[in-house]
Amino acid sequence: MAASSATSAAVYVYGVVRGDELPAVAAEGVADAPVELLEHDGLAALVSKLPGRDFRVKRRDLQRHLQVLEDAFGEATIVPCPFGTVVVSEDAVRGMLLTERREELLAALARLEGKVQLNVKAVYDEEELLRELLRLHPELARLQASTKRLGDAGYYEQIRLGELIAAALSERRELDSQRLLRHLDERSEDTVIEPAADYVALKASFLVSRKQLRKFDDALERAAEAEQPALRIEVIGPLPPTAFAAAAAGG
Amino acid sequence: MAIATRGTASNYLQRAPSPSGLADVLDVILDKGLVIDAYVRVSVIGIEVLTIDARIVIASVDTYLRFAEAVNRLDLAQTETAGIEELRDGGSAGKKKTEGAIEGAKEKVPGLKSDKEKSR
Repeated sequence: MAASSATSAAVYVYGVVRGDELPAVAAEGVADAPVELLEHDGLAALVSKLPGRDFRVKRRDLQRHLQVLEDAFGEATIVPCPFGTVVVSEDAVRGMLLTERREELLAALARLEGKVQLNVKAVYDEEELLRELLRLHPELARLQASTKRLGDAGYYEQIRLGELIAAALSERRELDSQRLLRHLDERSEDTVIEPAADYVALKASFLVSRKQLRKFDDALERAAEAEQPALRIEVIGPLPPTAFAAAAAGG
Repeated sequence: MAIATRGTASNYLQRAPSPSGLADVLDVILDKGLVIDAYVRVSVIGIEVLTIDARIVIASVDTYLRFAEAVNRLDLAQTETAGIEELRDGGSAGKKKTEGAIEGAKEKVPGLKSDKEKSR
């Protein structure tokens, strides 16, 4: 492809690495395009070209974006960009991103170096949880008995019952999530807590130093054992530090 | 679902090296990362609804009804009359149970339930 058309086409941006750390990315990019490294003054943006002006992409492109980040992360420190980041041209990537935000990017790369992200989710066992809430809150048990008696006629009683369960659950979630966070916080550098709904007690991303990875995993394992059977704990990672990139850049 | 299990440890902790379900993938890459002055945001067909704030769902009547139904189901399993009542509202109760096991607004999207269901 001619150089002139390349510079005028919109580019999809995955993230930024140091210029000398990553020779190439093998993973295929969004919209089937190969991933290239756009270098400028010691920094390199991972980009791929977007065809035409149609910026609608397919579901598998979500996986592609992640795969590119993971491949790069396997060999280098990366400051990831959110899915769907498109910049007007390669020149704009060099100018707007790699030149104008150089200091910010270098600071972020330094802060994220040697660190990984772990996504942790603690999920209640529905039956265990509900039985315990009924045990702890006698008014719930009473209301449950009356809604059962009323059947379909007890629509408002059912809503009231559900509302009380939601309130009891929210209280319980607060206690459980705080306990888990206290247990895990000391082994991590930073935490991003996501809103938790329904039977999720805690959903959070932890930034963990590679050197602390084993200790963090041990802490999680102990928590998982201590909290069962009420809570099931899942961990995904090590992941590229997507949840911490903006903060690391000082944004 | 690929769960990497460390040989030496007990199996209480569920580990995965990488997100396998769509919801978990979105958790990692959607709105996470260094925001640059984007020319335009690409859209993925069918996932726009995912950005609905989960908090809207938490406080809805629908959620309350699901909780009420879940807690009433507990006793169905314990009582003798369970069989009849389950038959009566079996279809909808079964469907609701699946939805009830899912967290957050993201799961409103068709096709996102798979990883959750597989893990059950």
